[in-house]
Amino acid sequence: MISAILVMALGAIVLGAALGYAAVKFRVEGDPLVEKIDAILPQTQCGQCGFPGCKPYAEAIAKGEAEINQCPPGGEEGIRKLADLLGREVKELSAEHGIEKPKAVAFIDEQICIGCTLCIQACPVDAIIGAAKQMHTIVADQCTGCELCLPPCPVNCISMEPLPESVETWKWKYPVFAIKPATKEVA
Amino acid sequence: MADSISVEVIYPLPQRQERASLTLPEGSTVQQAIDASGLLAKYPEIDLTKNKLGIFAKLAKPDAVLRDRDRVEIYRPLIADPKEVRKQRAAEGKVMKKGGGEAGEE
Repeated sequence: MISAILVMALGAIVLGAALGYAAVKFRVEGDPLVEKIDAILPQTQCGQCGFPGCKPYAEAIAKGEAEINQCPPGGEEGIRKLADLLGREVKELSAEHGIEKPKAVAFIDEQICIGCTLCIQACPVDAIIGAAKQMHTIVADQCTGCELCLPPCPVNCISMEPLPESVETWKWKYPVFAIKPATKEVA
Repeated sequence: MADSISVEVIYPLPQRQERASLTLPEGSTVQQAIDASGLLAKYPEIDLTKNKLGIFAKLAKPDAVLRDRDRVEIYRPLIADPKEVRKQRAAEGKVMKKGGGEAGEE
């Protein structure tokens, strides 16, 4: 009787120690689902989804607090990938969060720029070089095309230039069928 | 890696932004970073008496000491005169936006 209790107690201690060790040793940093969602999001940090960046939006999706159709830069393709990952239904891009546009980068008209630094403060990715009363320039390959620099500019010198399709940016087009709401076309 | 820092020197032109990533000993200055970047040889139009320098959108002196992961920026002077532009805008009766302005505001 005593020996049976001892064996069970010993087993519990050994297994408990093993589990405890494994929990410390193989600890997963962060939420792996958030990482996967974040990897699908376009990292424009534009805030059009209503969250202050791509990571917070990914966290909200993972918690089930946000829909997957709130990311205009990600577009249809992004929604499709998120739906695949999460086993949710593909939805049309939510109109209140914006519309899908071709990828563009901001460009500053140097004849007009007055060096006010307002666009630099707005840029979420530090892609604008410049200082007070110095020429501001956008680093094209760091610009995510989020358009957050457009509203603060007091002289409207920033314009969005669509990226020309090149060997690096060309992507295989999905054979997509646009989802349209059913229209009443019955005579 | 306590005794070396990695910094970036950038000279932005509208169509092409020239970047150089450098690893420098700790305590290096802005001037040393620019000398090490080789940008002065590549762009002879850079005149350090005219082109101002800075780190992450803040003007800096050439003898300012760099920190790890700083971005040294070589600026170019403005083309437009801010006062002139402001006068023009006032004459056209446009609204002066102060601060950031709100998105969607026209």
